[in-house]
Amino acid sequence: MSDLTIVLRSLAVRRFSTGVVIALVAISAGLLLAILSLRSAGERAFERGTGNAHLLVSRDGSPLVSVLNGMFYANPPKAPIDEKKLGELRASFPWAMFVPTAIGDSYRNFPVIATTPEFFTKFEPVLDEPWKFAEGRAFDKNFEVVIGSAVARETRMPIGSKIVFTHGSHLSREGDGPQMEPHVHEEYAFTVVGILEPTGAPHDRALFCSLESSWVMHAHDRFEREGKHKLVTVEDLEEQDRVVTGVLLRLPSRVPGNAPPALVSQYDRLRRDGTITVALPANEVQRLFGIVASLDVLFIAMAAATLVSSAVAIMLSMMNSMGERRRQVAILRVLGASRGRIFWLVLTESTLVGLVGAAAGVAVCVVALFAATQWMLSAHGIVIAPQLDPRAAVIVAMGTTVLAAIAGIVPSVLAYRTSVARNLRPLG
Amino acid sequence: MHSRVRSIPALQIERLRFAYRAPDRATFELALDSLVLGYEEEMLLVGRSGCGKSTLLQLIAGLLEPASGAIRIGGTDITTLRGATRDRFRGHHVGMVFQTFNLLQGFSARENVLAALLMSDVAKGEWQSRAEMLLRSLGIEQLDARAEELSVGQQQRVAIARALACRPTLVLADEPTASLDPENAVNAVRVLRDACREQGAALLVVSHDPGLESHFARIERLSEVKAQSPSEGAVR
Repeated sequence: MSDLTIVLRSLAVRRFSTGVVIALVAISAGLLLAILSLRSAGERAFERGTGNAHLLVSRDGSPLVSVLNGMFYANPPKAPIDEKKLGELRASFPWAMFVPTAIGDSYRNFPVIATTPEFFTKFEPVLDEPWKFAEGRAFDKNFEVVIGSAVARETRMPIGSKIVFTHGSHLSREGDGPQMEPHVHEEYAFTVVGILEPTGAPHDRALFCSLESSWVMHAHDRFEREGKHKLVTVEDLEEQDRVVTGVLLRLPSRVPGNAPPALVSQYDRLRRDGTITVALPANEVQRLFGIVASLDVLFIAMAAATLVSSAVAIMLSMMNSMGERRRQVAILRVLGASRGRIFWLVLTESTLVGLVGAAAGVAVCVVALFAATQWMLSAHGIVIAPQLDPRAAVIVAMGTTVLAAIAGIVPSVLAYRTSVARNLRPLG
Repeated sequence: MHSRVRSIPALQIERLRFAYRAPDRATFELALDSLVLGYEEEMLLVGRSGCGKSTLLQLIAGLLEPASGAIRIGGTDITTLRGATRDRFRGHHVGMVFQTFNLLQGFSARENVLAALLMSDVAKGEWQSRAEMLLRSLGIEQLDARAEELSVGQQQRVAIARALACRPTLVLADEPTASLDPENAVNAVRVLRDACREQGAALLVVSHDPGLESHFARIERLSEVKAQSPSEGAVR
């Protein structure tokens, strides 16, 4: 028997209201924690996705759209960059990395990225974290394909599988325009030669093949439209077929960090070219989160308000049980408990409700994060890996407990002031 | 049984005055010039309903503040003690039994007794054995049954065990038989008297039940209460 036993028994006597209040606190704390974790997870996911590219060149409408389409595979870019422009760009500066990409095909709604072998040797999906193969190797021939970890997990395709791509995808809607009609490139089967390890970036949900493979497939479509029925090969490609939708660029740098001195000048130089859109991926991600930051604050404020209202619920629940509690207080006083001890017993009770609620809130948060991750994956194809931030968990748990303790002050004062004589038996 | 200083009475009241206002705004004064109760002595205090019997017990327990006078329990004037010191003193030296038993709801029989020991100066190592010994000696075998699951008679005995848990100098019983039928009332008084005698505690029972008078050798009548209606002004 200890003071804690008295507190626990007191809570157990009112188990229904105690349970409801703890559930309220848990939901509020869990919601706040989930919002904080998702916010940092989203930012992290987007920051990871930009990898080691300093610049992204495309013909999308804006730098932000360019990054969302070119690096996060939100939609296939609309306007292509032709071979001549690609050559000009390549020759304009001694780039440390020059990796063209063509996005437009899909496999079972996973985007297919046509690119060069440098994509696996020079581009890093996450800064300072080069690609790693779980199985197999990078493509070195046409009609070979490397698949991301999420694609491998969901399709269960082993190395050596043969697949065909679809031109367009369910994600191919552009603005308010009509959805692109998917067309299956049945003539060209690709062989899976490599499976990537997870990167925690959108690349995990993509497939990668050579540019020439992609060009050949689309040249075949063009031939069919022109009434020429033959199986197109690399030799049949014309200049109009050799197009890309983006170029990932990296400047040479001898200093540590990811912002070489020449970056600003090259960015300005490329921006003066009105035929292309040039983006600083890291800046665009920050801009995106700057836009949603005010919404974040609103969500956090709403969750915090819910937490405060749950503290009010603790106080109301304790006030509602005051009649019953007064008798218990009077009995304890008769047994020798001081007013101060009674005050602390009641305060401990509300604090304990807050503490248990906060702990349950962490569990609620874990479940909410799992649900949110699954929903983001299935509804938007965005890979977020939310992790419960231990520091945030401690801060929210402590805040919840302190709020609960504050909520317990008024009932504790009332208990402190309880008249023993009046609450045991009427004077007589 | 622990040693008592037998030359000092368990309870000694001198020139006690207490005034209070009833709900109908009439004011009452309780006056008791002298009352002495020795260790292991039993006394029944009778009086008509509303004469201030329960109020006197609350004054003795230090739950109400007298206007004047002294209430000495084992030689210590409880009226001179303040705050937590008085509460601790009550916990250590005074046991109380009520008409409605006032057991802690949700607590088992054992925990009700342990709650009293928690406030006492009895060594923690003795708590469990003392609680079990007291409850078993009073015929309670369902030690872990919740208070509300026990019969009325069992609840009364748990209340008695709790009152005696801290080896009190004095046990105050406020209408202890009012909730019981005549047969159980006689049993309850016998159990209460036997338990107090065994623990060496003085027993002061207040009741308006004339049926109890045959069980006590010493009976006092409380008739010093004077009442004034609101129109008659304040008490003297």
